[in-house]
Amino acid sequence: MDLFSFTIAGLMVYAALAVFFIGMTYRICHWFSTPKASIRLGMFPKPKTRSGRWLKMLKDTILFPQALDVDPTMWFMAIAFHVAGLLIFFGHLRLIKEFTPIVSALGSKGMDTLAFVTGGTFGIVITVVVIYYLFRRFASPYKDISVPEDYLLLILILLVITMGNHLRFFGDVHVADYRAYVQSVLLFRPSFDAALAHSSIRWSLVAHVFLANILLMYFPFSKLTHTVGAFLANLVRSD
Amino acid sequence: MADEMKVDMELDLKGLLCPLPMVRVSQNITNVPVGGILKAVATDPGSLADIPSWARSTGHEIVKQEQEGTDFIFYIKRLK
Amino acid sequence: MPGKKLETLAGVIDAKMNRQLKLYLDICARCAICRDACHQYVTTQDVRYLPAYRAELIRRIYKKYFTKTGQFVPSLYEGRDPDENLLEELYDVMYACTGCRRCMYYCPYSIDTTWIQSVGKAMLLAAGKGSEMLTQLADAAIDKGKNIDLYKDIMRDVLKTAEKEMQDKVGDKEAHFPYDKEGANVLYAALAGTHSILPAAIIFHMAKEDWTLSMFEAANYGYFLGDAAKAKEIAGRIIDEAKKLKVKEVVVSECGHAHRVFKFFYEMWAKEKLPFKVSSILDKVSEYITDGRISVDPGKIDIPVTYHDPCQVGRNYGLFEEPRAVVKEICSDFREMTPNRAKNWCCGGGGGLVAEPALEEFRKTTGKLKVDQIRDTGAKMVVSPCENCRLQLDTLNEHYKMDIEITSMIDLVVRALKT
Repeated sequence: MDLFSFTIAGLMVYAALAVFFIGMTYRICHWFSTPKASIRLGMFPKPKTRSGRWLKMLKDTILFPQALDVDPTMWFMAIAFHVAGLLIFFGHLRLIKEFTPIVSALGSKGMDTLAFVTGGTFGIVITVVVIYYLFRRFASPYKDISVPEDYLLLILILLVITMGNHLRFFGDVHVADYRAYVQSVLLFRPSFDAALAHSSIRWSLVAHVFLANILLMYFPFSKLTHTVGAFLANLVRSD
Repeated sequence: MADEMKVDMELDLKGLLCPLPMVRVSQNITNVPVGGILKAVATDPGSLADIPSWARSTGHEIVKQEQEGTDFIFYIKRLK
Repeated sequence: MPGKKLETLAGVIDAKMNRQLKLYLDICARCAICRDACHQYVTTQDVRYLPAYRAELIRRIYKKYFTKTGQFVPSLYEGRDPDENLLEELYDVMYACTGCRRCMYYCPYSIDTTWIQSVGKAMLLAAGKGSEMLTQLADAAIDKGKNIDLYKDIMRDVLKTAEKEMQDKVGDKEAHFPYDKEGANVLYAALAGTHSILPAAIIFHMAKEDWTLSMFEAANYGYFLGDAAKAKEIAGRIIDEAKKLKVKEVVVSECGHAHRVFKFFYEMWAKEKLPFKVSSILDKVSEYITDGRISVDPGKIDIPVTYHDPCQVGRNYGLFEEPRAVVKEICSDFREMTPNRAKNWCCGGGGGLVAEPALEEFRKTTGKLKVDQIRDTGAKMVVSPCENCRLQLDTLNEHYKMDIEITSMIDLVVRALKT
């Protein structure tokens, strides 16, 4: 591994993960250490039981059905974004450890096809949604309420995805080589194996990892903390 | 009328409900000169307490208050 | 020292900070799904009324003063100072909001814009720029509380006419309005004016309720002003009266915000647990009918009637079905507005807007959705159990020549009451 790749795809990954986890912990602790208002100002109708409130909170957070009524396009796009994002995240777990049961069911050829089709599809879906998000921000009234953070995050996400798509659609590196890299990072000995080191798309990988690092490091300080905060805020709704 | 009170402006607040009599009086008090009299005729019984309270807390003076049938008549002197 | 003043004003955010506010300020994604939730934005298309933008005004100060990234790179969040320009914008936006919380209903994170705006109002008050009219109304109410002995006899005297009307209606010459009755079950907090006292008195009499009439009006302009100290003092007049008389229950008239103040806010402001129950007259009416303590003529009214869910009664208190059941029993041709219940459009008059003459045109414009909703039902009568809504509906009725009758729930019940 050359020094530049080692810095970005090695050292920086640790820094990014550290900032992300410490930052999120700090953020969440900060929320919990701030006293609740001594008033229950939930919105009706609300469930009467505690478990009912939690179920409604989960429904409001995961499906936000009310938004479907008032802005179906945005609802659909938001669902598509989050579902695609989650599946892409899970797909990446294959780089830590192969999903052996699926491989034994489909065979290794079948597994590759599945990964290519799902990864490819969701990679495209999420690209389309992010481009929609971005264009929406340029139109009134959305541009009037948007701040640079909004554009910055969307552009970052778009770049991460674009690099990812580039690796998937134009890359000549097999999953085993990526897994070797990820595992080397996990073992604190970051390295590229020969196939990756000599591949033409190595720079795309470094760029992909670099941008993802930036995104991770900014995450705890951005509105992306809604990934956790939305659950808490929606619980207040049913309080 | 027995006494010769010079009324600078008259307000008809009949039929208006709280808080509107107070709101209209407050809005129009600046339309009479300082030292001038705003006459307000209201039918809302709430105004019997509201308008004097408003006058006291804003620093104006009710110089006379009377009742004619269901009408409550206030003579409010602008003091500032 | 303007720099010092800016920090002092920003400090209001810190003083009002709590978990939910922090969440609201941290997580809004500015997706603007709330866009079509606000009747003021929908009817004016003015971005200042878009709920996310209203909240953004406070958020930009918060980001600049209270977040590390915002202190470091304020431009990333368009961080702002609470300067003259911003305060002016805050005034226009915060005092225009009716507090209906329809935006909260649709928000994927349930962000309560009114909660954020209460910080904005506190900031305006700290800068000495609170609403002049609402301040005067709040101060008048406080003054009345201090000088109640001056008015007691006058009020009782003037209510004699109404008392007589009650006697005629219930056919009992001995029926009186009870005042200062110690140990009564119910202390009724009405509004100024007989329209909220007489029908309630008839209902209480027929239900054989052991009640007493409060000397104070329930309305609370300190709450609309955003001044918790004044609001507490205004509500405190009735709270103290209830404690002194040792009543079991305070029943609040058909006034959405007043009921909400007693039911939810007072305990937070006063940091005490109230020794009596608080309910709305709507709760009582529905309870009396269910328990057979009063009865109404089914189908007494046969013209088409619709019901307007006041925000503070529906979304913010949870009475959807009970008032409907009463209306449906009395009116044979009941028609539902679309949308209704939790999704109902605000009438456009809440939040103390009816008391702001400067906002009258604005109320007419932003009430258009309500006008269309009512017209679509073909109803000739609208029942709405909130004084603010009714004042606004009166304005709309006249302005849009709707030719409808607007009535309170207790008036409707008295019309159909079997005596």
